[in-house]
Amino acid sequence: MEISDDLDATPSAEDVFEREVEKVFQETLGLIHIALVTHYQLSEQEATELEKDLFVWFRRFCYRPGASIRENRPYLLVACCQFAREYQKYVVGTGVRESDDRLRSILDREPADVAHDFSRSLQLFDFRRSDA
Amino acid sequence: MSLMIFRGVSSCLTSDAPMPETAKILPFPSRGPHETRSRGEILALVESFLRVPREERSTELINATLGDGDQLSTLLGQLWEQGNKNPSLVSQEAIGLHAWLTAREKEYFFFDERDYSLGESALLAGACLRLLGAREDCERWFDRADASFRHTVAPAPLLARVAFQRLSLRFDLQRHDDVLELLPSVALTFKKLGMAVELAKCHFLEAMCLKQTGRNAEAAERLDELVANSGGALQPTFLGLALVNLGDLRSGEGQFARALEAYREATSVLESANQKFALADLKMAVGATLRTMGLIAPALAAYREAADQHAELGMVTRAAYARVVFADALLEAGKHREAEWQLLAALPTIDEQKMVPEGFAAVALLRESVRQRKTDPKALLELREYLQAKN
Repeated sequence: MEISDDLDATPSAEDVFEREVEKVFQETLGLIHIALVTHYQLSEQEATELEKDLFVWFRRFCYRPGASIRENRPYLLVACCQFAREYQKYVVGTGVRESDDRLRSILDREPADVAHDFSRSLQLFDFRRSDA
Repeated sequence: MSLMIFRGVSSCLTSDAPMPETAKILPFPSRGPHETRSRGEILALVESFLRVPREERSTELINATLGDGDQLSTLLGQLWEQGNKNPSLVSQEAIGLHAWLTAREKEYFFFDERDYSLGESALLAGACLRLLGAREDCERWFDRADASFRHTVAPAPLLARVAFQRLSLRFDLQRHDDVLELLPSVALTFKKLGMAVELAKCHFLEAMCLKQTGRNAEAAERLDELVANSGGALQPTFLGLALVNLGDLRSGEGQFARALEAYREATSVLESANQKFALADLKMAVGATLRTMGLIAPALAAYREAADQHAELGMVTRAAYARVVFADALLEAGKHREAEWQLLAALPTIDEQKMVPEGFAAVALLRESVRQRKTDPKALLELREYLQAKN
């Protein structure tokens, strides 16, 4: 029986990088979903599709010069809030969806500010993670 | 039918197909085969795009390549890698890319990717133009990079890279005190952000400033540290140039064997990485050392190669400087006619690129003496020393 060379193959730096991007995104996904569905009032289907786009953006973003993948999580939240805000503004603006006070309130806020609030949850998550 | 564009939730591409206004619930188009492409496949597409000469690229090919966010970011990465090898070609690519991005509405891009790509292409154009000696154009490209990067989601590392390029330009302009004062702040940003490659570049620039201001011992110390401790952080161009400058400093101290050893190491690094521009600079340094050692024939050969290689790379000001140094060595070797040819090739560029201040007497004297086929060695020496200080 032949033994595949793959057993000895160590993952390339690029593979390691890609896996780390996926891991960090997955860790943040719960928070993203809450932001999209609970705060920006997107439907489950809309949120799922937006999350796919966010992943595509985040993956490319992590290739930019700068901070590590993990340190990029707050920016992922900023992008999430920005995407969600623009989308909801468009949907509400076209009359497809009615707005309420809660939605209006969050759409009036700067996405970076909303994301900043969510970042505190990330810090809490990191604290629990290190504690564990 | 008029089209309403909403890019936030449509696809992974910077699509050519804006979303129809008639959509009641925003559709989420399938990402199709693009989503599963490996980076290798994307790289192959980009390399194939770059192989087509710019003037032969169809609009469809340009839109398909640049309109695909993955290909666009890979293309920028590829161009950065090529920047030191072929700054002339890469500057044209970067300027063309910037024009394409400018003409395209932001709705076609993911989130901040238009601003990011505009900033990258502008920074790349400025960095390449600096290498080509087109210093006046650089500033505007760096301004454009700043203006675009400011609107990205994480501008700090990007703006720090622009700041570094601006300091490199100030180095070119002999404003060493400015560089030494402002560089630590940029270096600190890179350090905080864990940007090891950029931090190593800062240390290199600092060493170059120290060398230019006559603080040779400190410069050699920094360069030694850089070569010894770069740990792979220093790109081959900078590692090679660090070795070239170490060799130059050793040569100045009369340590010719150590100088030639550093040059040999630099040659190996730069040839492996195919860094033509740095190799041309290396030839200049080797020529100077050999000349000091009294090895005139090989020194002249090194100068000739340096001048030709800079000219081939489109680095006109560097080529003109190399020709002036070469002419000086030729004159010293009694090769008057050859020296005149080199000066005849260099003088138009010196005028066109304003490499000397208006009314710089040595250039007028030199031009007249070359016309009379009696090259004035004093005027040549004055010009060489002036350009040497500027280079």
